[in-house]
Amino acid sequence: MVNEATADDVWVALETVVDPEIPAVSVVEMGMIRSVEVGAGRASVVVLPTFTGCPAIGVIEQDVRGAVSSVPGVVEVEIRMSFDPPWTTDRITLEGRRKLKDFGLAPPTGEGPVLITEIGLPSEAICPFCGSRDTTNQSLFGPTPCRAIYHCSSCKNPFEQFKAV
Amino acid sequence: MTALGDDELILGHRHAEWTGFAPHIEEDVAFSSIAQDEIGHAAAYYSIASSLTGLTRDALALGRSVGEYRHAVLCERPNSDWAYTITRQWLYDRADCLRLTALEESAHDDLRHLATKIRREERYHLIHADMWMERIAHGPIEGRTKLTQAATTVLSATAGLFEPFEREADAIGEGWLTVPSEELGRRFVGEAVDALDGLGLPAEVTPDGWRAEFVASSSGDLIATDRSGSGEASAPAGLGGRSGRHSPDFSALWADMTRTYRADPEATW
Repeated sequence: MVNEATADDVWVALETVVDPEIPAVSVVEMGMIRSVEVGAGRASVVVLPTFTGCPAIGVIEQDVRGAVSSVPGVVEVEIRMSFDPPWTTDRITLEGRRKLKDFGLAPPTGEGPVLITEIGLPSEAICPFCGSRDTTNQSLFGPTPCRAIYHCSSCKNPFEQFKAV
Repeated sequence: MTALGDDELILGHRHAEWTGFAPHIEEDVAFSSIAQDEIGHAAAYYSIASSLTGLTRDALALGRSVGEYRHAVLCERPNSDWAYTITRQWLYDRADCLRLTALEESAHDDLRHLATKIRREERYHLIHADMWMERIAHGPIEGRTKLTQAATTVLSATAGLFEPFEREADAIGEGWLTVPSEELGRRFVGEAVDALDGLGLPAEVTPDGWRAEFVASSSGDLIATDRSGSGEASAPAGLGGRSGRHSPDFSALWADMTRTYRADPEATW
């Protein structure tokens, strides 16, 4: 007999789902999962999209559905996209930030979670390759809506930063 | 809701036309990115509109006739030169931020949450536009001249962004909209004129209302008429978009934008 699925089982399954454009970090580490509710074989997951215009969101929804469906005991899956609260970069976990950096993508703001409450200038970027703060912004826009392009004056490498929002 | 989405979709489409043609590769990427953001915002507005109308997002974005779109005429104008593109992006995104700030107080939950989300993303657009405006405004006289011409044309056409929406009174009654469009427009003009002044480009606003000519006489209207090519009556001042009256520029954009959808509206992607 199959055991009843729990919310913990679903969270574990979600740890295998990644953003296809940043395959090093799970949607859980990205802070994209607002809530998981499980009861009587039915799992409800609320996902917070990172950027409104993120083209990966359809794939992510599909992958979340697949992962949750594969949890033993789950027979019905409901996925809901929400902007409440808005996803912000301070939702990325410390582990997520470390993995972004190892992936070669500078984490959004410094080394810890920083809440950006007001509209202002983008924060500094720390080179993911050599750790230098001596970097300059080359362009606010990069290969995806969530990335900006920087240059490191210390190790002379160009690099991308996950933009703070 | 549809009008909000239409503004974003149509201007996003124009921005995307710079992909591959911008002055340098960073701007190719920047305008492609901004276009992607705006079209993404449009999709989110259409999602809300979809839940109210029962039409799919694709049907809303691509399945309507020319006269059924509700965006401001400003959004459909061709990109013209770089000064025009930048000035339009600068003024549009300022207007958009003002509108979003008001929508953050909306009684419609999904709309309020979406506005909060979008405004955080829009700050990158503003930084981008500010940087270019400053660069051109403090550059050689040729650029300054083009910027002044563009500002004249664009500023008068921004009136179209603040024409009342259809059934605006109902939306205000429900609390979905918190500030009437005309009031937002007045605030916008004040801010825009101050910002232009800050760039060393003082503009004169006629006392009889912000919709009248700005800066040097009616040159803006003349430029707009030339651009539309046919001198259509509704085109020069940039009004009429909210009730579906568009310029011939939009017919061409529409034909291009909806061609694939019209070939097979039932197709699954």
